[in-house]
Amino acid sequence: MPLVGNIRDFSLSDFLYLVDRGYKTGCLHLDRNNDAASLYFEKGKLITALRQHDRTNVADLLVSKGKLTSQQAETALDAFRNDSGAPVAQILVRLDLMPRDDLQKVLQQHVEESVYSLFGWPEGEFRFEQNQKPEMSAPIMPTPLGVEHLIIEGVRRIDEWGRIKDRIPSTDIVVKFIDQGSEKSRGVKLAPEEWRVFARINGRDTLAEIGKKTNMGDFDICRIVYGFLTAGLVDVVRSQIPTGMMSTGRPMSDAPTVKKSLVSRIMNRIRAM
Amino acid sequence: MQTVKMVISGAVNAGKTEFIKTISEIEVVSTERRASDDTKLIKKETTVAMDFGRIAIGEDLVLHLFGTPGQKRFDFMWEILSEGMLGLVILVDSTRPETFRETNRIIDFFISYRDTPYVVAANKQDRPNAWAPDELRLALRLPPHIKVLPCSANDRESVKGVLLELLDVIMQRSEE
Repeated sequence: MPLVGNIRDFSLSDFLYLVDRGYKTGCLHLDRNNDAASLYFEKGKLITALRQHDRTNVADLLVSKGKLTSQQAETALDAFRNDSGAPVAQILVRLDLMPRDDLQKVLQQHVEESVYSLFGWPEGEFRFEQNQKPEMSAPIMPTPLGVEHLIIEGVRRIDEWGRIKDRIPSTDIVVKFIDQGSEKSRGVKLAPEEWRVFARINGRDTLAEIGKKTNMGDFDICRIVYGFLTAGLVDVVRSQIPTGMMSTGRPMSDAPTVKKSLVSRIMNRIRAM
Repeated sequence: MQTVKMVISGAVNAGKTEFIKTISEIEVVSTERRASDDTKLIKKETTVAMDFGRIAIGEDLVLHLFGTPGQKRFDFMWEILSEGMLGLVILVDSTRPETFRETNRIIDFFISYRDTPYVVAANKQDRPNAWAPDELRLALRLPPHIKVLPCSANDRESVKGVLLELLDVIMQRSEE
């Protein structure tokens, strides 16, 4: 069954995180007014992105970018027609019409540009179709792209507090690296100011304290950390205060410890209902 | 007579009233009033105070079930209801991703300052477009040890299953 919603309520960054952590294969279709996009994933990584008015054939795309001649494109498409089991992009490499690294570079840039502009959409319906795959002629990257750096780049384009406040209500919060955070961060390209913040995350200092040490304003520090959180590189440290206070000033208490026999009685009663 | 309490929380229209009605032995005490804000776009009447259900465990023991009000302006009630609770069920409407952020806010409220045993019930699993429990876990960014359970709040066996799973979590922390 497809996952449906609106990126106004469940942002593109959140969805990319879900795809990454859920190891999802399929297509995320996005629609807004007269615009549409389709992002294809394989095992949690992005393999291609198609915008409504884009060239959907990789050979045509490469010719339009001056990376392939019409004759080379025709050769690749002839081979594709005779061997439709392989993506055109793969055939281009196999026939030595384009080096793999060059192909990756051109397609990655094209795909990234297609995705980054989507982060600017304030709303848009989404539908994720599990296991849906792109046409073999689509601009499929030879090496699929991890989504973490797409998230970080997308978050750089956020220029309003609204989305950030949802996850970072104040600069009093403390963040720490998650278990696989350092491994995940290997695929992420951070800007210098992001590195400055990244290097100061220690699970003890609040964002306000990191802001002071880096001479950065609240918005910038929160936006950067929002990116780390969304990409799943860091997590919020829960309050160190052993007991919270109620608004009435009374301390909050933990759940009461009860005897196993009591719990067992309740379980038996509910089972019998 | 000893009473113990469980709290059922979740965003507006997550199914809290239905959940309690389905399992309670008494007519649920529910202060439904006509909603005066944008919640009426979701349903004509919404819970503005609380739901209360009851299950007699024996002559000397009663389980009370409290549903929290869904609207933000009644947040102060959460503190009162959560005092001394045995455990917490967080209900999520699996068909409405627009409520996931609010669900996270509710979870944060209940677990930020206290160690509360809880489970997440992915309600309305019988509907088309319901997000599966595994997908909800990722969407809500819940840690692996938190149980995310499929649920249909109008089905007694399903509700029983959720409560038993919560009791299992409570059992693991209870004393001999």
